[in-house]
Amino acid sequence: MAQYLWNRLAAGLLVVFGISVFTFALVHMIPGDPVRMMLGQKATQEQVEQVREQMGLNKPLVEQYATYVTGIVQGDFGTSLKTGQPVLKEITNRFPATVKIAVSAILIAIVVGIALGMVAAKYKDTIVDRAVLTLATLGVSIPGYWLGLLLMLLFAVKWKWFPIAGGTGFKDLVLPAVTLGVYASTIICRLTRSGMLEVLSQDYIRSARAKGIDETIILFRHAFRNVMIPVVTVVGLQMASLLGGAVLIEQVFSWPGIGTLAIDAIFSRDFPMIQGTTLFMGIVYVSVNIVIDLLYGFIDPRIDVSQQKAGA
Amino acid sequence: MRVLGKAVHTNAVKERTTALPRFELLGKVMQSKKAKYSFVLLFIIILLGIIGPWIAPHDPLESNYEAFLQEPSAEYWLGTDSIGRDLLSRMLYGARVTLTVAVMSVAITVVLGTVIGVTSAYLGGFIDNLLMRIMDMLLALPGIVLALAIVAVLGPSLTNAMIAIGISSIPSFALLIRGAALTIKSSGYVEASRSIGSSNRWIMVFQVIPNIAHVLIVYTTLFVGAAILDSSALGFIGLGAQPPTPEWGTMLNEGKGFITEAWWLATFPGLAITLIVFVVNLLGDALRDIFDPRAASK
Repeated sequence: MAQYLWNRLAAGLLVVFGISVFTFALVHMIPGDPVRMMLGQKATQEQVEQVREQMGLNKPLVEQYATYVTGIVQGDFGTSLKTGQPVLKEITNRFPATVKIAVSAILIAIVVGIALGMVAAKYKDTIVDRAVLTLATLGVSIPGYWLGLLLMLLFAVKWKWFPIAGGTGFKDLVLPAVTLGVYASTIICRLTRSGMLEVLSQDYIRSARAKGIDETIILFRHAFRNVMIPVVTVVGLQMASLLGGAVLIEQVFSWPGIGTLAIDAIFSRDFPMIQGTTLFMGIVYVSVNIVIDLLYGFIDPRIDVSQQKAGA
Repeated sequence: MRVLGKAVHTNAVKERTTALPRFELLGKVMQSKKAKYSFVLLFIIILLGIIGPWIAPHDPLESNYEAFLQEPSAEYWLGTDSIGRDLLSRMLYGARVTLTVAVMSVAITVVLGTVIGVTSAYLGGFIDNLLMRIMDMLLALPGIVLALAIVAVLGPSLTNAMIAIGISSIPSFALLIRGAALTIKSSGYVEASRSIGSSNRWIMVFQVIPNIAHVLIVYTTLFVGAAILDSSALGFIGLGAQPPTPEWGTMLNEGKGFITEAWWLATFPGLAITLIVFVVNLLGDALRDIFDPRAASK
């Protein structure tokens, strides 16, 4: 087990290393003079030189990267050009808000997605099943930020049940969490449905039915537990991408998470911050994935994670 | 077959004349209700995009200073925006912008994704490992985050949005294509081809790619839907098409500011995006059912 954990961590580190090369390269892919672009045309030549010095952009490329990586390892993601604060500090200030919204969204998605998926599987090929499937296709087709606007229009502007945007309290959390939850729940719903259909056609389910076991017990105890693995995988993946991908919804509801931080950074051309948020989202994604892999062993004791090869 | 000097069509010949492989495929597509309807709907939307400028009742960029934020009416079917431009006309022009972005960005994804996927699967070994590790790294960033980072570097514009979306979808497309190409690689005819000395490039272009064509069609369709969502998302943030270009996402961004007084501005462009993505996704699902019956049974 320990061996597996180490392999998994090493593979994860390799991916993070790759992302760091990407975020490092971002600044060097800017056409023209990157510092000039960050500061705009109004900045004086001295300011440009000062920032170039501060970011170490006047040193050889390899040395720059070495400094960049050493900094990251020591928890130094650079300094924001806009606020002058350390990038990592700003990110950790904003991260709890993103976690809050992502966790609420995933909880909604788990409940709604699994319930709808099981209902659709139970009533396969009936009108209920078709309605759920159509809803699920609609759920992946609707732009999340527009759904957010619509909910805002109905529940905040028209009926005034919830505040429009800007706060961080419980009432402010409801609309963005529901909006984010919709997409994740459609994914979970489809997967639960197809998994359940496969399991329900197995022999042991027929035996259980023949024995006259209550249908609810069959559905939950016999069938659903065998669908858990793919569902947990997809829940984890959704969680990981929600932590980084809530960018748009945060923007719609002015939610102070790392998504809005990243977008503000792009608008103010604050490259250390852009690099920092991108790298941070990558690290979060990799970490969540490692946790999911380790969870498999707990969910299904037949899976011995230490026997599997560590993949990236 | 000839009987007494006359040509007689055997059953085999009859069947072949009515169903050449490529028409057989089209026939199959048309047999599926879902595919047929989504095809027709998509055709109508594309047609609207093409003839939009001719049927638009007003100029999409001209402001009418006597009609700020007007509700939908007989004159302005979908209302007007904050500087008196007709929403319906802007949406008709916007269809063209949205479709162009989707097609261009998916073209980037499909070409590069296929090259990477097929090369990786066919050559295997070190190159496969290298390419796939790079894809893994890029996959660790959610698509929109990757696209945002690229736009941050290139600067916000419609062209850069296309490039960013195109590039950010490459990793997942390449992985899917690699999986499909792997099954072709181990087939007998590829081995036979290699044994008579065909070059790797020839085999990849004329044997592997044609045989994964059905997979390509399905994924391309599904990626078009995602590209429309992403491009309108970039427009909505303000990093895609720049005003006054009538792109649907950009229009929603403008409408967001007037959500309390003008509901139509934040409603209709979104409805249009949802409709077109829904139709494209339905078509993608239907095509998958047709081409991959194994996945369809699930």
